[in-house]
Amino acid sequence: MSDNPYQDGRGNKDASITNTKGMGTMTPAHRKSGPTTKVDGGPFLIGDTMTGGYGKGPDILHDCTIAVNPGEIAVIVGPNGAGKSTAMKAVFGMLDVRSGSVRLDGEDITRLTPQDRVVKGMGFVPQTNNIFTSMTVEENLEMGAFIRRDDIRETMEQVYDLFPILREKRYQAAGELSGGQRQQVAVGRALMTKPKVLMLDEPTAGVSPIVMDELFDRIIEVSRTGLPILMVEQNAKQALAIADKGYVLVQGRNAFTGTGKELLEDPEVRKSFLGG
Amino acid sequence: MEILNALVALSNFVLIPAIAYGSQLALGALGVTLIYGILRFSNFAHGDTMAFGAMITVLVTWWMQSHGISLGPLPTALLALPFGILGCMALVLVTDRAVYRFYREQKAKPVILVIVSMGVMFIMNGLVRFVIGPNDQNFADGTRFLISARDFKKMTGLDEGLAIKTTQALTVVVAVICVALLFWFLNRTRTGKSMRAYSDNEDLALLSGINPERVVMYTWLIVAALATTAGVLYGLDKSFKPFVYFQLLLPIFASAIVGGLGSPLGAIAGGFVIAFSEVTVTYAWKKVLGYLAPEGMSPDGLVQLLSTDYKFAVSFVILLIVLLFKPTGLFKGKAV
Repeated sequence: MSDNPYQDGRGNKDASITNTKGMGTMTPAHRKSGPTTKVDGGPFLIGDTMTGGYGKGPDILHDCTIAVNPGEIAVIVGPNGAGKSTAMKAVFGMLDVRSGSVRLDGEDITRLTPQDRVVKGMGFVPQTNNIFTSMTVEENLEMGAFIRRDDIRETMEQVYDLFPILREKRYQAAGELSGGQRQQVAVGRALMTKPKVLMLDEPTAGVSPIVMDELFDRIIEVSRTGLPILMVEQNAKQALAIADKGYVLVQGRNAFTGTGKELLEDPEVRKSFLGG
Repeated sequence: MEILNALVALSNFVLIPAIAYGSQLALGALGVTLIYGILRFSNFAHGDTMAFGAMITVLVTWWMQSHGISLGPLPTALLALPFGILGCMALVLVTDRAVYRFYREQKAKPVILVIVSMGVMFIMNGLVRFVIGPNDQNFADGTRFLISARDFKKMTGLDEGLAIKTTQALTVVVAVICVALLFWFLNRTRTGKSMRAYSDNEDLALLSGINPERVVMYTWLIVAALATTAGVLYGLDKSFKPFVYFQLLLPIFASAIVGGLGSPLGAIAGGFVIAFSEVTVTYAWKKVLGYLAPEGMSPDGLVQLLSTDYKFAVSFVILLIVLLFKPTGLFKGKAV
């Protein structure tokens, strides 16, 4: 990134003239959407043999494949720096996918911008900064439904039913909530678009074990409605326990793939990633 | 009686002018704070944006006056204001398209945009002086006073007169309407909320399907409307002189920072804090004290703390004091 002189941050720290809080950091692979093509068959959402990296940088993913079907929870696990989040970002169009493709619901969307993927039905919850802290919980949900022009009240009720605590705090600024509640707002915001697939980037990062269990319960509840869920997780054991499909990535490659149960029982996986 | 006279003198020379000036500063600071909050840089071209909007209004006002169009007791400029706003909107949109958009696409750091806005400032500054000239222009018409000093004296029988200029009353009324509209827009409408969302978290706004270019466009439109209104009200109240608007940038920035950059409520509070301090510090208190002081103790001097030439210094002293004790401004803004 440093090859662009306009992004030289020298002197950029004077907050009385520059406002760096909440500045965009996303670097979509495409600034303008390319065409999509119809494809038949295959899983509902698949990142198929993706190879690519950020910008002009080296490849981070190597022939990485990730797929999820309706009613399933697919979990990506792996050691630090394995490219878990990167794989998810590749599916979401934040990574230049140089070979391979991303297909959603019978459509090749490899060349779409992240925004257009949201319109196509991808709900994405980033790992950090995933709520509008200065806005109320209800406004957060409203903003989640920004692309919708129909009545959003029903969806909002569904989200409140799923996360009752949010109904209580609906007029409170989201930034005042606890870590677990914030994650609920973040997931609720993504659900407001009525996505066809939900992608969660480490939803339990930084929350207590109790809150983590509760979040997992909610995620299972969401998945029971038939919504496919793709999730990156650090807590591999707990995540694989609820996963229908697990992907273990190592250095940007698929190391192991199987159902959550299979992976948990695989001695190789246990030894290298789950601490015995 | 003495106390009443003192009070009237105080209102006449301090309170009313300060309220009018404060409203003008508040409108200007609102524009600065919106740009800071949403486009993330301090727009140094704001004073000259005000001047441009006011210039268009002045020109349309003259045209209307020459055709005998008037608003009766109200200044014709009020009728010309919408045209000024439209002209100013066109200017900022063209500027954004020609200049700022390039830097947005480069994802340039805000500090670069600050410097860019300085360049824009010089261009706009030159443009305004090129079109209307550097001199004072008078375009106020209609009834000059709502209450004149003589009428007030006759009405109340006091020694001191209280004059309220039509433009002063108008300034406050228009400012209140503008602020109410702005807050309603930001807090109640879908577009307004999307602007706040974009200000809060650009990435997430993008993920929610909010179009950044659209947010930026609405921001410029609102800023143009606010800047033109502020510029016209200031011009009506005092007079229109391009260089004065350039200087006005200083108290406007002071207001926005004192109130807390990025906070609309802060911009308004800051505007009044700066206006009141400027007016009280540069006012000659001889008259008011003369009424209040006991017999034989009335001051001989003017009791003016600072000459009016130093009024800009006052804004900066206030700015320093506030920032020393409350670095985020009176209302918690984003500046640290």
